[in-house]
Parts: sequence; C-alpha cells; structure tokens
Amino acid sequence: MRLFELISRRSWVPLGGYLAYVLALAAGYYYNLTFIQLGLIDLGTRLVGMSSAAVSAAMAALALSTLAVAVVTGVVMDRRGWNKNLRLKLRLLFAITFSQLVLTLVAPRIEAPSLFIAWVMVCSIPLGAGIPVMFGSMIDFIPVRDRGFVAAVVAGLAFFVAALYPAEWRIEEFSVVVAAAMAPAVAALGFLAFKRLTFVDELSRQHVEFGPGRFCRPHPVRTTDFTFLALIVLMFGIFFIDSLGFLRIIEAPVYMYSSWQSPDMAVRLFIATTHMVAALMAGVLYTNFSRRWIFLWVFGLFAFTHLMYTFHLRTGPDVVPPLVMPMFYVVAVSFYTTLNFAVWPDHSTADTIGTHTALGVGVAGWLASFLSTALALYSESAGLSLLSHLTYVNALALLLLLALPLALYVRRMVALARVSGAV
Amino acid sequence: MSPSLVPLLVLALLLMGVEHKDAARAELVMSGTHELTDHESALIVGDASVTIPVGVEILGPVYVIGGDVRIQGSVRTSVMQLAGELIVEETATIDGELRSVAGSRAVSENATIGRRTMIELTPTSPNPLLVLLPFAFMSGILALAGAAWARRRPGMLINVGRALTQHPVISLTVGTLVALTGLSLIVFMAFTLVLIPISILGLLTAALAVGCGVVTMGHLVGQHTRIRKAGLATGIGALLVMAGLELIGLIPLIGDLVAMGILTAALGAVVITYFGLSEFNPVKLPE
Repeated sequence: MRLFELISRRSWVPLGGYLAYVLALAAGYYYNLTFIQLGLIDLGTRLVGMSSAAVSAAMAALALSTLAVAVVTGVVMDRRGWNKNLRLKLRLLFAITFSQLVLTLVAPRIEAPSLFIAWVMVCSIPLGAGIPVMFGSMIDFIPVRDRGFVAAVVAGLAFFVAALYPAEWRIEEFSVVVAAAMAPAVAALGFLAFKRLTFVDELSRQHVEFGPGRFCRPHPVRTTDFTFLALIVLMFGIFFIDSLGFLRIIEAPVYMYSSWQSPDMAVRLFIATTHMVAALMAGVLYTNFSRRWIFLWVFGLFAFTHLMYTFHLRTGPDVVPPLVMPMFYVVAVSFYTTLNFAVWPDHSTADTIGTHTALGVGVAGWLASFLSTALALYSESAGLSLLSHLTYVNALALLLLLALPLALYVRRMVALARVSGAV
Repeated sequence: MSPSLVPLLVLALLLMGVEHKDAARAELVMSGTHELTDHESALIVGDASVTIPVGVEILGPVYVIGGDVRIQGSVRTSVMQLAGELIVEETATIDGELRSVAGSRAVSENATIGRRTMIELTPTSPNPLLVLLPFAFMSGILALAGAAWARRRPGMLINVGRALTQHPVISLTVGTLVALTGLSLIVFMAFTLVLIPISILGLLTAALAVGCGVVTMGHLVGQHTRIRKAGLATGIGALLVMAGLELIGLIPLIGDLVAMGILTAALGAVVITYFGLSEFNPVKLPE
C-alpha cells in the first residue's frame, strides 16, 4: 500500500488528503443511507401523512432529478476542466454541504404534501451535484494503488455507524443530531475552500499523477465504450436487487429482530462489525483480483441470500431466523458498495471523471436504488406478499448471476471468431 | 454455528430424511437457552441449551448434535444423540427409540422409554490415549499424504506455500469467504434432503482442501528442518503442524480463533492456486 510508504516518509500532506477524503465520503454516504434513503420514507408517510404509493412516486422523482443534476454537473465539470481545480471543487462541496444542512434543519417542519414534493426536488440539487464533485475528488487525494482499501474503509465506516445509529429512523430527532454533526464539517470545508492554504495547493497537484484510473492505463476508457456501459448495467442490477429486497425485509415483523432495525444492540453490533470486516475483504479482493470475480461474488451472494430468505419464509416463517441470513446480506452490500466507490474513478481520467462518476453513481446507484425502493413500497401497498416479492428479487439475482459469465463467455467467443476470421 | 457441527448437521438431516420421511419441517436450535413449548416439527439441537419441560409434547424426532438437551416432558417419536449432553429425567416419556451414538448422557431409570440403543463410540470414562487416537490417525494420514505429495508433485506444494507466505492477507480473505459461503451452502443443500449427497461431496472437498493446506504448512515447516528428503521432511512437518494447531487451540479465549484463522488462510492459499496447479499472482496496479 502507498499509505504505508507515506507514513514511513512522514508525508503529512498526502496523508491528510487520505483522512479528509475518507471522512468526507463516509459522512456523505452515511447521510445518504440514513437521512435521505430511510428518513424520506419516515418524513413522507408518518409526518406528512402521505400514502406509501405517493412517497414512492416522490422518491422516483428524486432519483430522476438527482441523476439529471449529476449528469449536467459532471459534464460541465469535464468540459470546463473543473476536475483539475481542487479549490473550486472544495467551494462547490462547501455550497453543497451548506445547502444540505439547511435542508436537514427544515425537514421536520414540513407538514404539507406540496411542501414535501418541493423539499424533495430541492434536495436533488445538492445530492446530484455532490456525486461528481465528491467521487471526482478521488483523483486529488487517493493514489490508484490504494483505492480499493480506501473505498473499503469508507463503505465500512459509513455502514458501521449507520447500523448502530439511529436505531429508529424518526426524522425529528435525527435531523437535529445530523445538523449538529454537519455544522463543524461545513465550517471546516469553508476554511479549506476559501483560505489560501499550502496544504490544499499541494494536494491540488496530485491529480496529475493519480488522474488516470486503474483501467485507463495505457488507454483511457471512453463513456461510450462497451466496458463502461456494461459496468453501468451490472451496477444498476446490483443496486436494484439490494434496495428491492432490503426495504421489505427490514419492515417484515419476522425479520425485524434480526435486521438493521433490531432493538437488540448485540444484533446491530454484529451487523455493524460484519459490514466493516466484509468491506475490508472487498478491498483486498478489489486490489488483487480482476473485477469480474467481485461481480460474480456479489451476484452469487445476493442470489444465495434471497434464496435463504425465501426458503425460510416457505419452510418456517414462525421460526426465529438465523443471523446467517442478514450476515450474507451485509457481506453482499459491503462488497458492492466498496466496488461502487472505487470502480468509477478507476474507469476515468481527470478529463472524464465528472461524467463517468455522475453516470455511474447516478444511474447505477441513485436511479436503481430509488426506483427499486419505490417499487418495493408500491408492491407493499399493492398487497404483494413478502414471499412473492423476495421470489422476484431472487429470480433477478439468479438471472444476473447467470448473465455475467454468459456475457463474458460470448464476448470471448466473438473475439476469438474475429481473430479467426469467422466473423 | 461452529464449523465442526456441519458434518453432524448433515448427518442428522440425512437420518431424518431416511427415517422420518413424513417430517415436513425441521427446526434448528443453534444457540441460546430455550424452554420449548408443544412442537410438531423435527428438532435439531446444536450449540444450545434446550429443555423440554413437564407436560410439553414434541411430536417430531429430536436430534442432539451438540449443546445440552434436558427432557422432562414427552417425545412422541424418537431421540437420537450424535454428540453433546443428553439428560432424560424421571418424568420423561420417549414413545419411540432413544439412540445414543456419542456424547455424554444421564438417563433416569424411571423414565418411560420405548426402546433404547447405545452405541459406545465414545467411552464414558475415556482413556487419555484413546482420546488421542482420532487425532493421531488424522495426523498420520496427513503426514503420509504430505510425504507422497512432496515426492511426486513438489511444485504444487511450493505454489500453495508461496501464496500462503507471500500473500497471507489475500489467502485469509479468500479462505474466509470460501469457508463461510461453502459451509452455508453445504448446510442449506442438506436441508433440501434431495441434495444431501452433494452436501457430503462438498464436505469431503472442503476436508480435502483443508488437508492440502495442512500439508502445505507441513512442507513449509519441513523446509526448516535438517531432513534432506523432501517427502520425509513434509511428513514430519505435517505432524508438527497438527501438534502445533492443537497446542494453539489450548490457549484460552483466542486459541481456537487463531488456529481457525491459520487453517482458513491455508484453505485460501489452496483455493487461489487451484490446489497448487497454478502460481498465484495478484493483478498489477499502477503506482
């Protein structure tokens, strides 16, 4: 790891860059996981009194709007060369975090559906802009060799804290706590962004070395390349499967006690620790193996996990579910989240990272997550049983598990046929 | 669930599938302390403490593969003990057969038991030498296999050994992942009953892979001895590794965990080198 070399050389500035990036991305992802993805449902259904179907429609709108803002921001950043200007990115990040702080504080005061919709749409602006700005900053802070491990630490930290706090997603209490945590971060960002600091100047030169990602050497990956588009489809599939199953599982009374919302602290601690360990394992795998292996593991783990849940529902729904079920779910989630943090910057250069991270995280992450969350809410309101719902999720996971090696095999066949002149 | 319970669980499910074809469901109790209420499905008890109180009826068969089971009430079919501790009190009624293959037990003379079969695989007051026999047998097999392997295909052992010593973190990561998913899949398949043969095959493959890992560690240890013959050095090394793992296991609190970690890393090294057929080279990343 490059990190150890930096520690032995006592290079404090790049080390500070590592720390800043890990803290900022972990905090941002924690905010996304808790306040937006789950707090939104609580706000819409309980506080505003909207139906699940109406909240799911609002979430779909949020996803689409966030994607649009992310892509526009990413393309503008690439075209204007903003990716190579760390100070500008810090200023953008300050503006984004400040607006999120304000939105967080006003959230519990929303009482009318029209205000809720307006709040959701305004939320999508900093969320969307934050994707290329935050993910794109990897080229300023993290060398290619360490990206897998850094992504693992970010994913592990965010999930670890999210699994332990809050135990109940009630937006009133949570918004106060989150705002209190965000305020010093906003102040620190403002200091870094607007004060002339040699620390920032030194970091801003690192993109020259760190810019070309792991899969962009020697040739950069273009946005229209098959590899990049296939990656978006695969990641979309993973996020879609996860959110589709997760929301129904955590709300099912039979799984409540062995899931993320368990009132038992020991269960939540087990889940939090598993998140952290699994993320570190994913970091090791990402750094040392080809990416297709990790995709296969993720699809395989999801397929197996949902198979266990459906098997349990079919054979013994009244029996206390074993912790091995959420454990596998957690491992799969930590794996793909680590992959998501590292894979987009590694398929980009300083000239394409805005668009690539916006498309990657926006389409695969946001759009997939929120569309499937909306679909899960809809299936619940339509009265689809948990077993039927999870059977569909499982079918999708198995399909992707089968499709990946098949696609790789067919691709190899086509390449061989081209070489032999058959095509 | 302790990995050592997996073979017994598969065996219990196999027996259940053969003897109680009408048992549509089985409940697995693997941890905690439980006092049961009336129960219709089959019951398999692992690392748990289970009491069947007076007045409670268990309609399905009971399999004890670990932990402790105290029967005060009624079991309408049979009870089979494969390991763990079984206490049958004087108020207990077992309509079918009580079979005990291994583990410790205390059966009250006044308990009502349809039929009783005791197969003494583990003697009640064990001779220390007899207790060591399975360990010595296993170590001997591994030493012989290691010696033959080192003589015939030393390159394979070198590949696994290099993966283990040069990439211990990767080996441990892959080993953990393979062990977790592999064991869960084996148990899960066993629950389908139809796939029990595949589960058994999986268990054998897992045992083979772990055995290869132990032999590799033996090879590495053997290289540090003064024995020149590669086969003999590996064989003796394997014996030393087995003894070392047993000794590590004696360390309180962390001993088992450390021994398990070493075996898991060895398993990972075996997996990433395709049982030593290929050298493991991690992908090269730019600086």
